[in-house]
Amino acid sequence: MILYDYILSPDCYKVRLLAALTGARITLRPVDFHPGGEHKTAPFLAMNPSGTIPIFEDDGLILTESSAILTYLAAKAGPAWLGDDTPAMRGRVAQWLAFSQRLSASIGKARVHDMLNKPADIQACRRAGTQCLREIEAALVEQRLAGHAFLAGDRPTIADIACFPHSMLAPDGGISVDPYPSIRLWTRSIRALPGFIEMPGIHRLHDLKPEPGPIPERV
Amino acid sequence: MTDTPMLNEWYPVGILTQLTKAGRDTLLMGEAINVACDSLGAPVVSAEDGRTLPVRARYGHVWTSLGSPTKELFDIPEADQPGRRLVDVGVVRVKCSPLRAVENFLDIAHFPFVHTDILGAEPHTEVQRYEVQIREEVDEVWATKVKFYQPQAAKSAAGGITTDYMYRVPAPTVSILYKTCPPRPGEWDVITLFVQPMAEDLCQVWPWMALFDDQTPMTDLIHFQQMIFLQDRSILENQLPRLLPLDPGMEIPTRADMTSVAYRRWLKRHGFTYGAQLVAA
Amino acid sequence: MALSRDVPPQVVIPTFVDGRELAVWRSQSGRIAAWDDRCPHRGMRLSHGFVRGESLSCIYHGWSYNEAGLCQRIPAHPDLVPPEAIRVPTVAAVESDGIIWVASEPASQPPPTLTGLVALRSLTVEAPATAIATAAGMPIDQDGALRPDLAGIACVLLVQPIPGDRTVLHVLVASNASPAAQAAVSRALEDLRRRVESERLAA
Ligand SMILES: N[C@@H](CCC(=O)N[C@@H](CS)C(=O)NCC(=O)O)C(=O)O
Ligand code: FES
Ligand SMILES: [Fe+2]
Repeated sequence: MILYDYILSPDCYKVRLLAALTGARITLRPVDFHPGGEHKTAPFLAMNPSGTIPIFEDDGLILTESSAILTYLAAKAGPAWLGDDTPAMRGRVAQWLAFSQRLSASIGKARVHDMLNKPADIQACRRAGTQCLREIEAALVEQRLAGHAFLAGDRPTIADIACFPHSMLAPDGGISVDPYPSIRLWTRSIRALPGFIEMPGIHRLHDLKPEPGPIPERV
Repeated sequence: MTDTPMLNEWYPVGILTQLTKAGRDTLLMGEAINVACDSLGAPVVSAEDGRTLPVRARYGHVWTSLGSPTKELFDIPEADQPGRRLVDVGVVRVKCSPLRAVENFLDIAHFPFVHTDILGAEPHTEVQRYEVQIREEVDEVWATKVKFYQPQAAKSAAGGITTDYMYRVPAPTVSILYKTCPPRPGEWDVITLFVQPMAEDLCQVWPWMALFDDQTPMTDLIHFQQMIFLQDRSILENQLPRLLPLDPGMEIPTRADMTSVAYRRWLKRHGFTYGAQLVAA
Repeated sequence: MALSRDVPPQVVIPTFVDGRELAVWRSQSGRIAAWDDRCPHRGMRLSHGFVRGESLSCIYHGWSYNEAGLCQRIPAHPDLVPPEAIRVPTVAAVESDGIIWVASEPASQPPPTLTGLVALRSLTVEAPATAIATAAGMPIDQDGALRPDLAGIACVLLVQPIPGDRTVLHVLVASNASPAAQAAVSRALEDLRRRVESERLAA
């Protein structure tokens, strides 16, 4: 399995993260997204005419949308990440996978604008991003009232993986995450999952490790 | 406030290989400029009022100045050394003081917490005593004999090593580091942070490298450095006050911060205060 | 000011009191504290930090501070006892009825009692408190609260003005409200926020 990857892309990170959480072995092929713009060159457009990454290749199959890749990788390497097979669960997971595209189109765009100088209607992106975060916050409140800690149920699924990166990286695009206490706790619980890996902008939860040495004594 | 000494300095404003005839609009110390190339590919930088600004094409980047530079652009002799790979890492914009961006680059104590398991890791947090001086003959800040334990010092590093560093500040918004070069013992890898001050609290960072590494693909080298710098970005955007305090009292340094202390002193001595604050707020 | 439930052990959050930026955090044993959101070393926001045991550490260089705000460990110098002068300014924080209260001045009175209620959620509104009071059709009472019925449930909305003409509402509902009723209140709050903000946009 090959992932055409960019270290700073939240959409690529979703795939790396799910691979790490499921123990799936994937081969990373770094793409010179910035400054090179390699994803817009002919060989890449041949694989993905829409000119975006991630692109995922396995056994002749090419997938070009992060939500599709998550679905495929989970089915192959960790079916529990798809949630149970009740109709309601399938619907909820599909709902959040679709929703995650709104995050890419708002927070993702604001982020490459503010960070990498890519063009965007920054005010519109920030407004739409804030609206998305409010929707996640409200959904998490209702999930908690229903006794569920994650977006689609009481255990993490690809719905959470799809929405987690942009929810954490919004400040990179000038969108505050301070007003969302439920998002804070939800992202913490994802960051604490065994096998979790970081990407730049999402720091290690150092509190999971004890102080490495004694506190120097005051005399 | 316009800062005269800093107006006469050189600043990076673009990557040489990415210039276009139409050019790209950007900001330099609050002034709108356009960075383009002529029909022969030579860089042309113009200000909003039509002025053509002085340019230099060096170290992969276009350099310009809003004033009248009294000094030639600083020298990086390693840039011309045969066998080095020169890497344009690409621009990253950061909502922080250009001086805070340089200072962070001079700091090693944050490696275990910000670049965890790459440039540092607990419990190897100790910063040994090192040497700092302002080299009067060249008017540069230098730190030498800096050592730090690193789990993955470079893309080419196979495991943890104690890395030797030297740091150099040849201009107010430029920092150059020299570090142990895993494939070529005895040589130093050169990694720079060229900073374009857009406003006192906004900058563009153009990292550039001159490495001995024949193995690693170029894209991997770029991504490694972008990964490191983007780990710093969320720190830089969350330091208070936004401007770098040059007077002691507002922030508390320790022995590990000797380079930062010397840098602040050097800035103050030269009146390099664009992006700095002089009184404790 | 926050809901106790939103600051479980080892969590640190940013907030404001009287325009001052604070980091509010809970230790592993459950102690709550409110400090200036700024590390004395190089000014990093402490609300980005991490909690180990009874101390809060800064994310930048890992300096750790004990419950009193006193620096106790500088990882770059593991054997050094930090001078007592390295200290984060603290403000008083108390907890009652599921709410964390902070006061930058010594508080003249204890927080109001809010018995028979359960904390539902906090939400930020891009409008000043007065605009919310107008939309709710009632004045803010002496406890700094609005007490409307939302989705047919008696609610208490504690009003926290924050900089930028924004307001945080900390919402409590009758403790006998079912989860479904609480979810309905949560939706009614979203609706209230939409109304307040769209009126402001129109104005
Ligand atoms: N719908 C795509 C969106 C991916 C996406 O926007 N990727 C960005 C990088 S993070 C990209 O390739 N952008 C290229 C462009 O927009 O030109 C997915 O979820 O995979
Ligand atoms: S800024 Fe907090 S430890 Fe350095
Ligand atoms: Fe760094």
